[in-house]
Amino acid sequence: MSELFGISADILIFGVATLLACYMAANIGANDLANAMGTSVGSGALTVKQAVIVSFFLELLGASLAGGHVTNTIRKGLIDPALLSNSPELLLIGMFSALLAAGIWVHTATLLGLPVSTTHSIVGAVVGFGILAVGFLNVSWKMVFTVALSWVVSPIAGAIISGAIFYFLDNKVLRSKNPYGSAKGMAPYLLGMVVFVIVLSVIYKGLKNLNLNFDFFGSLLIALPVSLVAGFVGAALLSRLGGPDCRWIKGDDSEKVECVFAYLQIMTACYVAFAHGANDVANAVGPLAAIFSIAQTKSVVMQVEVPIWMLALGGSLVGLGLLIFGSRVMETIGRKITEITPIRGFCAEFGAATTVLLCSRLGLPISTTHVLVGSVIGVGIMRGMGVLDLRVIKNIMYSWLVTLPFTILLSMIIYRLLVWALV
Amino acid sequence: MRTSFMNLFYKSPFENLIKHAEKIVDASRMFKEAVDLYLERKYELFETITDQVARVESEADAIKRNIRGHMPRGVLMPVDKFQFFMYLREQDSVLDRVEEALYWLSNRHQAFDSEINEDLKFFVSTTLPAMEKLKNLVEMASGFFRRGSEEEREAIKSMIRDVRQLEHEADHLERELKRKIFNRVTDAIQVYYLIRLVEIIGSIADHAQNATDMMRAMISR
Repeated sequence: MSELFGISADILIFGVATLLACYMAANIGANDLANAMGTSVGSGALTVKQAVIVSFFLELLGASLAGGHVTNTIRKGLIDPALLSNSPELLLIGMFSALLAAGIWVHTATLLGLPVSTTHSIVGAVVGFGILAVGFLNVSWKMVFTVALSWVVSPIAGAIISGAIFYFLDNKVLRSKNPYGSAKGMAPYLLGMVVFVIVLSVIYKGLKNLNLNFDFFGSLLIALPVSLVAGFVGAALLSRLGGPDCRWIKGDDSEKVECVFAYLQIMTACYVAFAHGANDVANAVGPLAAIFSIAQTKSVVMQVEVPIWMLALGGSLVGLGLLIFGSRVMETIGRKITEITPIRGFCAEFGAATTVLLCSRLGLPISTTHVLVGSVIGVGIMRGMGVLDLRVIKNIMYSWLVTLPFTILLSMIIYRLLVWALV
Repeated sequence: MRTSFMNLFYKSPFENLIKHAEKIVDASRMFKEAVDLYLERKYELFETITDQVARVESEADAIKRNIRGHMPRGVLMPVDKFQFFMYLREQDSVLDRVEEALYWLSNRHQAFDSEINEDLKFFVSTTLPAMEKLKNLVEMASGFFRRGSEEEREAIKSMIRDVRQLEHEADHLERELKRKIFNRVTDAIQVYYLIRLVEIIGSIADHAQNATDMMRAMISR
């Protein structure tokens, strides 16, 4: 590859790619994560400041501990890099084009006020350069199809999980003779359940970076006691919190119920940020990781794991994006969705985060926002929400239809231009 | 940045429904005042207040149209949309009947004997609480659809029972009043004038009850 301004092109590309990845990450934080945390702000479980702090750390944790699977899909799942082992510079340029195309598209869409998904943009862009780099038939269409299918299935899954949990809590808590008592009784189980899902998803074949590799039963053996302990700790805390003159849980009985769930919702807010980190950080980090390994080794060595520092960097950049640009978005959402009470927020967030985390485990890049939309609708169908505008579903479908062709085309054009200029 | 998540949340129509019910409370106070003035033969003041009620009615009408005009297809509500609109229609009819009663009175300036006067005043005063309760009912329902506690639902049900009871009493009074009118008043025009008036006033409580029936259907599980 040639030199530009006296610097070797791959180093230059790596530098610019890092900037682009930062831009993408900040964008994800400012919009996507702000949306995801909006339900907690709207119900009053967290203030905007608290939401920023909580999501910064949990996003970082989610990205570092569970962010590798989706990153790998974007890095090497959609097109097989081995096909380019003779010309690593093409993969380098390709991944750079993908990052640039997705960045341009997300930025333009934001300016135009179109609701788009960063995930869909990056997937489209990777497929786009892949078509030119390895040939149309060599793109892993099976994987592309699986990913596209997950975009349809994941919001539905979120809706089913959230709707079912709301139906259950509506029957067992809200309509019970003693709602506050039922809420207190139920809380430790719900806490245990969330901890169980998180721990299982992290340790089951997930800690290769730490040289730990648990099989399914091994993971179960760890996740079960941990979640049991979490449940007992939760129960103990709650009995102390809920005393007669407690200033934390107060008001009449129905307010106390929401108060208990406000605590649980803080936990699901963490869960959402964790799952978001696991899934969405890949959008920025995936291409960058590919570029980094090529620039470093001058060859297409794709077997190594994505360095954990890179995932952590992505996670903290997303958190930084939320910190700098996301507060306003969260405030707007918080004002708009006063209909969401902690018990509804809990259901929506639990369903959404579980779906997102599951997809992350399977290495499927999905849109957290769309899953959350599905989850809220799921609660709405169980008559748990205020008024929901289902025309959003049509918008989401339009955004799929528009995003893919545009990013594919844009990425192809940029790739062709760069190859022409540099190779 | 518009996001699909933000666009998902649609403005709740309950806010406007409460505003609409507030107009009814305003009108109910004016209604009592206007009828009192009429019976005291202060017709000029009576007409002024009737005009004010007409204004309140048209304001309420605008609110109603706003609610109806902003409920497009594809909007998911926690209640049946049809029941919601039926409720709105009945709540609006309450106000229409108040206006109709005052317009009817304004057709002819007629003095009645003092016993009929007192009975009319009493009859009007029994319809007022039913009108005022609609506002509390809508406020409670708005809270119930937000939080969904059984306690709130029971409170709404008991308020619906109250309105039913009030309507029952108004019905009873209407029958007695009609009997009295036929027995005491001999002038045919006066009889027609009074009977029609009593029927219109009686229908206020009917519509209030119809509204609460719809509310009962909306909160049913």
